[in-house]
Amino acid sequence: MDIPLAHYLILSGLLFSIGLAGVLIRKNIIVVFMCLEMMLSAANISLVAFSRANGVNGVPVYDAQVLALFVVAIAAAEVAIGLALIVAMFRARRTVSSAALTTLKED
Amino acid sequence: MDFAISSILFYAFAAMALICACCVIFASNPVTSAMSMALCFAATAAVLFGMGAQFLGIVQIIVYAGAILVLFLFVVMMLDIKTEEEDNSFSVWHSLLRMAPGVLVAGVFGAMVFLAAIKLPGATEWNNPLCRAWNAMSELCVGKQEPTAQAQACDFGGALPALNPAAAAKMLNPEISQQDAAAATSIPDTKLLGQRLFSQYNIAFVILSFALLAGTVGAVALSRKISKD
Repeated sequence: MDIPLAHYLILSGLLFSIGLAGVLIRKNIIVVFMCLEMMLSAANISLVAFSRANGVNGVPVYDAQVLALFVVAIAAAEVAIGLALIVAMFRARRTVSSAALTTLKED
Repeated sequence: MDFAISSILFYAFAAMALICACCVIFASNPVTSAMSMALCFAATAAVLFGMGAQFLGIVQIIVYAGAILVLFLFVVMMLDIKTEEEDNSFSVWHSLLRMAPGVLVAGVFGAMVFLAAIKLPGATEWNNPLCRAWNAMSELCVGKQEPTAQAQACDFGGALPALNPAAAAKMLNPEISQQDAAAATSIPDTKLLGQRLFSQYNIAFVILSFALLAGTVGAVALSRKISKD
């Protein structure tokens, strides 16, 4: 007995929504960034599951896995830039809390 | 025997991934968050291994748990962030109220995906305790529902089709003889992925390498010390 596709999709959706909750709840920008990475890897799970489910003659569709590989590479580039931005922000404001970013707020 | 060892492993690693993801959110120390994220990625990689995507599982471990996580830990330790959330003067209710919108949005999204996926034909046919409990509960709540004719016609959402090493060997090398193809025991995952990556998606791959280069240059430019002149 094999695991149905729907269970992979549920795992991926739940991981994604936990990541989304983290992005919305947390104030520490580094943790927000970690949650973004979790959302990307959750999307990878459903890509690979669909590549197996739509396979022809027992061979997975490799287009989806290529796309998942691209997602991983883009995530790596994104982390490099994002952490550099966080370091720059820490230099300027001595904090990594998103609550401190109020320059554009009218008061 | 109802359970294959691979399905037990899938549910174990899925639970581990979800629990570690919750730890990432609720840990107050960023280092704890980063370590839980490593465990979450390891469990995700195990799920990918279970689906037969060995190369992507390895990439997940090397890139996410190896490179990205080390970068996170490096920044956390370099910035020397004290465990924030020092606003303990507020009551529990206040912090719950602060979390409420995020939990609501994410909960609605998660419930939406869950309900859409569980309605796929074949999603709850499998005879395991989880599916039996779900079927009993939905029967109790909405009554017994017969699947529509359209749902019965496609088996989308059911068990993943079994991997076929012979067909994969044939796909990799069309001139292979019949008995050589039949002798193949596992899918040449990396070879097939690489074949697709370097033929059909070659231009996208090159553009991707430029994106990585741009990321490197951007990171260096952003973290340079700004001279005061």
